[in-house]
Amino acid sequence: MTTAEHKSDVDTLVRMYRMLARMNRSRPEARGSQTLYFNLLAEYYTRVSNAHRDGKLLAAHTVFFPTEILYAMDIVPMHTEMTTWLHALFLREQAELLAKGAELGLAPEICSPHRGVAGIFAMDAIPHPDVILWSNLICDNTAKAGELMMELSNSPGFFLDNPFQDSPGEMDYLVGELEEMVHFLEEKSGRKMDWNKLSEMIEHTDREIELYREISELRKAVPSPMSIVGYLELLSADYMFPGQPEALQYLTLLRDELKETIQEGKGAVSQERFRLMTLFVPPMYMISSLGNLFEEKGAVSVVEPMFTRWSEGKLDPDRPLESVAKKSFLIPERRSMYGPLSQQALQDITDSAEQYKIDGAIYWAFMGCRHTCATIKVMKDLLNEIDIPMLTIDCDIVDPTITSEEEVRDKLEQFFEMLEDR
Amino acid sequence: MNSSLRCWKTVRTMKTLGIDIGSLNVKAIVLGDEGVIGTGIGPPGDDIEAGARSVLELATRQAGLNSDSLPSVATGVGAKLVSITPQQKSITTCLARGARYMFPTVRLVIDMGAESTTVIKVNERGRLADWANHDKCASGTGLFLEQMAKLMNLPLEQMAKLSLQAKGRADISNTCAVFAESEVISHVHRDPPTPMEDIAAGIYYSVVSRIISLCKRVGIEKDIVITGGMALNEGLVNIMEQELGCEVLKPEAPQTIAALGAAIIARENAEKGIKT
Repeated sequence: MTTAEHKSDVDTLVRMYRMLARMNRSRPEARGSQTLYFNLLAEYYTRVSNAHRDGKLLAAHTVFFPTEILYAMDIVPMHTEMTTWLHALFLREQAELLAKGAELGLAPEICSPHRGVAGIFAMDAIPHPDVILWSNLICDNTAKAGELMMELSNSPGFFLDNPFQDSPGEMDYLVGELEEMVHFLEEKSGRKMDWNKLSEMIEHTDREIELYREISELRKAVPSPMSIVGYLELLSADYMFPGQPEALQYLTLLRDELKETIQEGKGAVSQERFRLMTLFVPPMYMISSLGNLFEEKGAVSVVEPMFTRWSEGKLDPDRPLESVAKKSFLIPERRSMYGPLSQQALQDITDSAEQYKIDGAIYWAFMGCRHTCATIKVMKDLLNEIDIPMLTIDCDIVDPTITSEEEVRDKLEQFFEMLEDR
Repeated sequence: MNSSLRCWKTVRTMKTLGIDIGSLNVKAIVLGDEGVIGTGIGPPGDDIEAGARSVLELATRQAGLNSDSLPSVATGVGAKLVSITPQQKSITTCLARGARYMFPTVRLVIDMGAESTTVIKVNERGRLADWANHDKCASGTGLFLEQMAKLMNLPLEQMAKLSLQAKGRADISNTCAVFAESEVISHVHRDPPTPMEDIAAGIYYSVVSRIISLCKRVGIEKDIVITGGMALNEGLVNIMEQELGCEVLKPEAPQTIAALGAAIIARENAEKGIKT
């Protein structure tokens, strides 16, 4: 595939997001924050597409990578898992991406986003990255993904080793790792780290985390103001634009809209009947039909303790690198997905159940994420102790061949029926 | 007579219809004050709508009624494919209601149908509290047992009787119907061949072990009621009881319990004034 063709693949994403933003503008009921979100993604992929033309280093990185460092060095980040999901969603290339991953010897039981990432590299479907950055946060799959990406792209790479536990010694170790990575990037990009810019981004990130917390608080309202689609937007805002003024703008606008919705006495669905806790993430390819089903049944996801409940703690712009390290200990996913299952993660679940007045929980058991699926029994027992039923749906985030939409819908309908009947 | 008494009388004389449209059979129940007054069972055929209507006719004729006038609820895999009634309920809710009606002490229902197995936890009020189902592979289903009986060149009933005489159990895979089939073939052809009764017991055990692990997911609690067409298979029920370490309660017509539950829900709906 030629460079021009690479560009057109990413440019398709840009065009799709611009079109979605335009469509939203013509729909009076559409959220302004969603329109902004679509535009931000269009701009993100425009930067990816133009990185080489603009003489910038393009860095492909795995999930939960501290991209504040890249933005501060004027390096263009390209989130590998998100880019794969979006390709799968908009370009309908799931089968092709996963088949390419299979050709590389990746079995169907392996995490599909990582199979897809391997596929997207093997298909040469994205602009050629100048460096590969990866870490062991959030799982062993992520830790293993980097070498394959380096081999497929023939690009140099850096592995960031994240310790499991939050202790002073391990924090120092992580800061040392980050320093080493900054040196690596300075060498590859020929640019020096702009420490003032990084401090500014840390200030923004800290404010963003505050906004995440405010949004979580607002969602306690009855009826709850945010839909399941909003949940996935929230996730990608931090995955893709952390520390960026546009992320602040998006989160501020979303928070204000939620406040307004609450003041008007409205909810995310016309008639709220079931308040749900979401554990893990639903299949991306079903998100639109899930939104419709939730509206039809009066169901709303009000809290996702594994993904949207940030740990307590503040970042310090005067100590930017330490703050980048600290942020990796605050991210919600870490408590249940990385290292031992923390007591705090379990406490979050029981606290959330009470604070958000939930009627039931849905665990989206993503078969590729086996280490997280190991928590299903513990979480189910915990919720059952407080008389909250939990539905487990075996599924895959990207691969629709694992569980059909019809099967998922049937299980959800049964679950809602059970909640109604209790 | 005051209005509340009139209302009570209307409800008490009500007759309702429940229909369970399964993949191999359609089951219909007419429920009156005195209990089940009509039953129909038959295949859905190529035209599900017509198949369901003819089973429904059987049940209503037995009850001496006209089906058009009865409040009704449909359930089962084909419930959404027919226009008999706008009211549909999931099989799990219906099974919980039906099993509770038959056995008020029920806490766990094991439903073994042609294409899937579902275990249902019932709370102290007789409501569905949790469920788990096995629907990814044919192993553990009625169709799997039919296939195995065919492979052993035995009628299903004879395979069940044979298993009761087993002195041991052949090892048969419980994770894949295709692997299980090749294992049975290998047991039949090995020298000396594994005794047929041990193969039959092994087949039932492979199904039961899979079901027991489902039961553990929701929690095993007595009384346990077994429903669905496979509950009629004495070989399977025998091994199920051995593995559970307790007796299971078996309704007289286990394959009609979901339809019975649907008829009960139709009655509840009518009592609440919900048009069915």
